[in-house]
Amino acid sequence: MSKQGKRFDLQPYLRREPVTLALLSGLAIMMFGAVAGLSRLYHQQQNSLATRWATRGHAALDAKSYGAAVIDFRTSLLYSRDNYSYQLNLAEALLGENRINEAYNYLINLWDRQPENGLVNLELARIAAERGQTNSALRYYNNAVYAVWPGNQDVARRNTRLELIHMLLRIGDRAQADSQLIALAGNLGNEPAEHELAGQLFLQAQDFPRALEQFRLTLRRSPRNARAMAGAGNAAFNLGQYVVAERYLQLAVWHGDKSSETKLKLTKLVLQLDPFRSQVTSSERRRIVLAAFAAAGVRLKACTAPGSFAMPGATLTSLTQKWTQLKPHITLWELSRNPDLVNTAMATVFDIERETSGMCGGSTDTDNALLLIAKLHEGL
Amino acid sequence: MEDGLAEHDEQEAGHGAGSFLGSFFREDRFFLVLSVFIGIFSGLSVVCFRYAIDWCRIYVLGTGAQLSPWRLLLAPTIVGLIIALLVIHVFPLARGSGVNQTKAALFIYNGYIPIRTAVGKFITAALAIGSGQSLGPEDPSLQIGAALASALGRRLRLSRERMRLIAPVGAAAGLAAAFNAPISAVLFVIEEVIGRWTAGILGSVVLASVSSVVVLRWFMGSESLFRIPTVRMQQPTELLAYSILGIIGGFASVALSSGIGYLRPRCRALPRWTQYFQPALAGLIIGCVAALGAPQVMGAGYEYIDQAMHGQFTWQFLAILAVVKIVATMLSFVSGTPGGMFAPVMFIGAMFGAAVGGAQHALFPHLAWSPGTYALVGIGVLFAGFLRVPMTSVFMVLEVSGNYSIILPVIVANTFAYVISRALQPVAIFDMLTRQDGLELPSMEEQREESILRVEDAMQPPRTPVIDADDLAKWGTQFAKSEMPEVMLVRLRPNGWSSLTRDELRSIIQSDRDGLNTDELFAERQVPVVHPDQPLDIALRYVDRWPLVPVVSRADFNKLEGIITEHDVLERYRDFAGE
Repeated sequence: MSKQGKRFDLQPYLRREPVTLALLSGLAIMMFGAVAGLSRLYHQQQNSLATRWATRGHAALDAKSYGAAVIDFRTSLLYSRDNYSYQLNLAEALLGENRINEAYNYLINLWDRQPENGLVNLELARIAAERGQTNSALRYYNNAVYAVWPGNQDVARRNTRLELIHMLLRIGDRAQADSQLIALAGNLGNEPAEHELAGQLFLQAQDFPRALEQFRLTLRRSPRNARAMAGAGNAAFNLGQYVVAERYLQLAVWHGDKSSETKLKLTKLVLQLDPFRSQVTSSERRRIVLAAFAAAGVRLKACTAPGSFAMPGATLTSLTQKWTQLKPHITLWELSRNPDLVNTAMATVFDIERETSGMCGGSTDTDNALLLIAKLHEGL
Repeated sequence: MEDGLAEHDEQEAGHGAGSFLGSFFREDRFFLVLSVFIGIFSGLSVVCFRYAIDWCRIYVLGTGAQLSPWRLLLAPTIVGLIIALLVIHVFPLARGSGVNQTKAALFIYNGYIPIRTAVGKFITAALAIGSGQSLGPEDPSLQIGAALASALGRRLRLSRERMRLIAPVGAAAGLAAAFNAPISAVLFVIEEVIGRWTAGILGSVVLASVSSVVVLRWFMGSESLFRIPTVRMQQPTELLAYSILGIIGGFASVALSSGIGYLRPRCRALPRWTQYFQPALAGLIIGCVAALGAPQVMGAGYEYIDQAMHGQFTWQFLAILAVVKIVATMLSFVSGTPGGMFAPVMFIGAMFGAAVGGAQHALFPHLAWSPGTYALVGIGVLFAGFLRVPMTSVFMVLEVSGNYSIILPVIVANTFAYVISRALQPVAIFDMLTRQDGLELPSMEEQREESILRVEDAMQPPRTPVIDADDLAKWGTQFAKSEMPEVMLVRLRPNGWSSLTRDELRSIIQSDRDGLNTDELFAERQVPVVHPDQPLDIALRYVDRWPLVPVVSRADFNKLEGIITEHDVLERYRDFAGE
């Protein structure tokens, strides 16, 4: 086209639709490319800002400055709105600030996105437990136990299960706590501390055979562990294995565990006052029966005396009559003459101790020991 | 423009009837393909617009969430001055939201929107929203899309009819990209801008919206404007709370629209020099509010809608934010700052919604609740009450939430808001703004509710004799004995009607008394029929050519329900005008 020539007229070509569409396509591709370049710049900047603020947030979180962490993570989320980890961090910071409701709302949203996330389930479980929503707490704890965890999954799951067990014991659900403990015990390693903890928890769940087993495992790997000895003693004591209990408690006291002294004393008393124990000679048995019968009489008198806690009811009156009628017959001579009298005397002793334990306070160690012997031989 | 149409016809002829491309690229099909390109270009421009807003915010307000009070005060004030200079001297058409300008392009300017308006809108709205003015990017996106489409249509010399429609197509594309919600955009444009459903325009609007959303999602991801939590209606008793939300939303809508309606003409009537300072003053006041502890009212506020949906504020603070946002939006808009009202309306609705939900939970703690559900319903409520787009308000909530289980609370709450708003503020916001601007655009709300006259309103009982075509000879004999009526209707077999005047019947009978062939006789004499429920306009098309038109049942074409004449139609129209 020369300078003097007619201006090139594009219109006739433009109005041929295929050409127009080709030109529009070309223009669209060019603009797409340009916007893609712009977009790359934009997203780079957004990511960099998000990372910068999140880094500050992490530092604040580590320093336990939860208020600052909340602001930093909120800012980072302005630039990376759907970042799961920043949202989780923000929820943690909110929890740190004790802004439970806000944290809960974040967590529940995160849970909707990833119901299998262990940390989210654990935090939700803690919130639910704090709010007294036991069912929700149990559901989230159970989710967390079987959830996906970053890093060492086994440790995270074990710790979560431990937390769940603590909660169950706190609310008094010993049956569920015991089943969780059994599952926990099956996955314990070789660390004596883990077995010791499991033993203590079994003790709290009143699963004494498994508690004893865990303490024995602990002592096998750490023979001088006084707490484990005391635990084993307690477990054996509760199982009625007083000989075993005496041994472990004795060891515990020798290894410096002063808290076991009382229980050791009681265990020894039980062993002394139990006439049905094997390896007890006949004469010794008779002496024990005499002493037990006398102790029961003292207990009965104390309980029915004026000013005592209990008003003498029909049962106590009948027991007093029974004890009084039996009293002349409970002598060493009569006991040796009539061995069945041992059982009759001890049955009366057990009846007296059972009745008075529910009605009268101020029982002595002897009374407690007799009660334990009653439980051992007759059940309560 | 007529030249354009003529040239287009010539061009079609030039392609030749046998040309495959020529037949494929008929204008209507070409328009559909063009709609896809409009969507792509609109989507790209909206992506750039969103980037521009974010960059403005970062460079003007800073990157942090907590800003220094000085920055909060100075940034919107100084940028307000710049915006005023740009709007007054460079882009005078960039004022306002953009919805009415698009309607004006459709109904007044034959689809013409200067490209300069789009550029001006892009720059000034990005500055305004980025600097913290309480406005949103949706309406400007709508106008940018419409302006791009208009420019494309002009460049391609489309016919006048297509040019008129191309702006709404672009508007739908722009709005769809801004909302990331194509269905809502299509509904809004049909409901508020175009005002009618036709297959031709619907296809183009849908294609443009979908393609723009695809482009937006390509660059910005498929997430909606705010994270939507799991939404659900927990128990039916909550409907009471949603009704209260609808009532509050109705009053809030009236407060916002009345405030704008009252302040806008007064601000415009102030001396011209004050217009240089109005955006700055609005910015300063909003900055003060932000510095005093409510920075959430600045800008579009999507992030705070998100936080409200996730229970991050107490219900008392949410209520305060909603009220303050009403004032801030009013100030920003009446000051002439370019920017949209959709985002502030969503913000106000979400805050009121979550506040009502929170208050309900505080009163009845045993009732479970989800703040996200209340916030979403609140958004729909303000759409119904303030923008007066009832269908869009329902579908937008459903589309954004992706959950149809909340349709019941949405409908209940929106109905309350809409009815209250209609009762207290008879003129919808967009109609009020156009009237303040001295334009008389068709009110879509009035059009929707316009009562139309139907045939049954004008028809007369069938007093005219009806004779069967087969019995024509017998009737002729009978009429010969008595006085014949002026006109009579003839029922044809199997279906169809004709009419005969007295003279016609007499001449037919006299000419061939013995062998009348009625099929031949009435082949060319069929009278069109109308049905009672049809608009009266339909009858008007026939009554000047036939002395009377039979009104027949839709179930039985041979059953005459009445008759209608030109006189009846005109009489009814005259009465209607009097009413």
